[in-house]
Amino acid sequence: MTHHEVEKYRKPIRVLHWIHSGAFVLLFLTGLVFFIPGLGFLAEDGWTRLIHRIGAAIFVIIPILYLIVNPKAVGRGLKQAFTWGSEDMGWLKAAPAYYFSGKEKGMPPQGAMNTGQKMWWFLTIVFGVIFVITGAIMWFAKASAAPATLQWMTFVHDIAFIVTGCMFLLHIYLGVFHPMMTEAWSSMASGKISTEYAKAHHGKWYAEISKGKEEKV
Amino acid sequence: MADKAILYDATRCTACRGCQVACKQWNENDEYIPPPGGDGVQASNWGSYENPPDLSPTTWVKMKFTEDDSSGKLRWLFTRQACMHCTDAACVKVCPNGSLYHHELGFVAYNKDTCTGCGYCIDACPFHVPRSTRNTLTGIAKMDKCTFCTTPGLDRIDAGWEPACVKTCPPGALKYGDRTELVAEGKKRVQDLQAKGWTNANLYGEKELDGLHVMYVLEDSPAVYGLPVNPQVSAATIAWKDVIQPVGWAVGGLTIVGLGMNWLVARANANKEAK
Repeated sequence: MTHHEVEKYRKPIRVLHWIHSGAFVLLFLTGLVFFIPGLGFLAEDGWTRLIHRIGAAIFVIIPILYLIVNPKAVGRGLKQAFTWGSEDMGWLKAAPAYYFSGKEKGMPPQGAMNTGQKMWWFLTIVFGVIFVITGAIMWFAKASAAPATLQWMTFVHDIAFIVTGCMFLLHIYLGVFHPMMTEAWSSMASGKISTEYAKAHHGKWYAEISKGKEEKV
Repeated sequence: MADKAILYDATRCTACRGCQVACKQWNENDEYIPPPGGDGVQASNWGSYENPPDLSPTTWVKMKFTEDDSSGKLRWLFTRQACMHCTDAACVKVCPNGSLYHHELGFVAYNKDTCTGCGYCIDACPFHVPRSTRNTLTGIAKMDKCTFCTTPGLDRIDAGWEPACVKTCPPGALKYGDRTELVAEGKKRVQDLQAKGWTNANLYGEKELDGLHVMYVLEDSPAVYGLPVNPQVSAATIAWKDVIQPVGWAVGGLTIVGLGMNWLVARANANKEAK
């Protein structure tokens, strides 16, 4: 069967994604041991806290490196996260029927990122910044900041953990396990998806790139 | 078992600091004399007989000196600065893996081997007692504080002895015993003080934080001694441990259940479509 493919994510984006998500997984797991009392024994002697710091350094450095290497792409990406329109409302209304029973009726054609992906991307940026600020204070100002300040930093860090942790589970689920999102994985693994999948899942984006007005993400 | 406690009578204390020495000696907490430019506790003259200037991972009890001349007559007041062994202990509440726990006799003990070094207890303590060694870069740390002489291998309580500080106290300002008996004795001493004209005399720790296991007989308000008048588990501790964390467990659990249900339904529908 001949198979036509389009490039969804360029290689630098995929490398950024995988290193950054690797750091997030480290941070998530080493944070989880503090959140679930039954796992607390794993944190004995604080070695998970050392890994957490290594993960944090990668989590901060990699996006900054990408910003230096390709500021335009970062600008485009940021713009995407903060651009919301009527098709986003439509997506939210149609999403339950779509993700449970695959009913595409009522689902407005989506851009390179659908509304759900955009929500995740938006939360990644907002909570990423919150994580880094609160985390840096807890890391470097542990001996100098007021105890109450440090306690509230932990509190905010926890809220960010709960929100992004749940979205992270959803993200893995849709990327790997959902029975109908068959090519989300390959879009981030090899960078390519079939034209059929592109048409069905990212109609607006596909129309744009086939018009020759190529806007790769 | 009936809770045990220490009663400290500030009016009997001579601030000899024998308790500080006995504590260090028994618990093998040699003071670290810092080299010039080092990061130990600087034991230099800072205008007070109070020494060392602060608690540290190797200083678990310290006498605090207060000079009060608000009444026009100078009073030199002494208090004890060490773990108060709260019943409603914020440190136990925030400890992520149960390294801090309540001893069967009521006081707050901890297992240093399992301590993760997170330092949550340091920020949560209403009395600002726990201290840690800390490498700022790696975050590797260990907390220490008064163990009520229950340090494994150095457990005086288990051996049926009094804590080292109590044992050594020359003027008998420290007393160890059943908490209920010490509350009664403390109240009696307060009454005696009030009869002598110390109208603000009080027993600190009887009800604070559901009852402390170190109680102070004070001749004046706790504020005069620099003690928190109404110590509380902080709002941040409650908001974090009693609200946000349980909400997080619920939201996380529901997310996993929801995704599982979606998978079952979506798979069934996808299979139907395929047929």
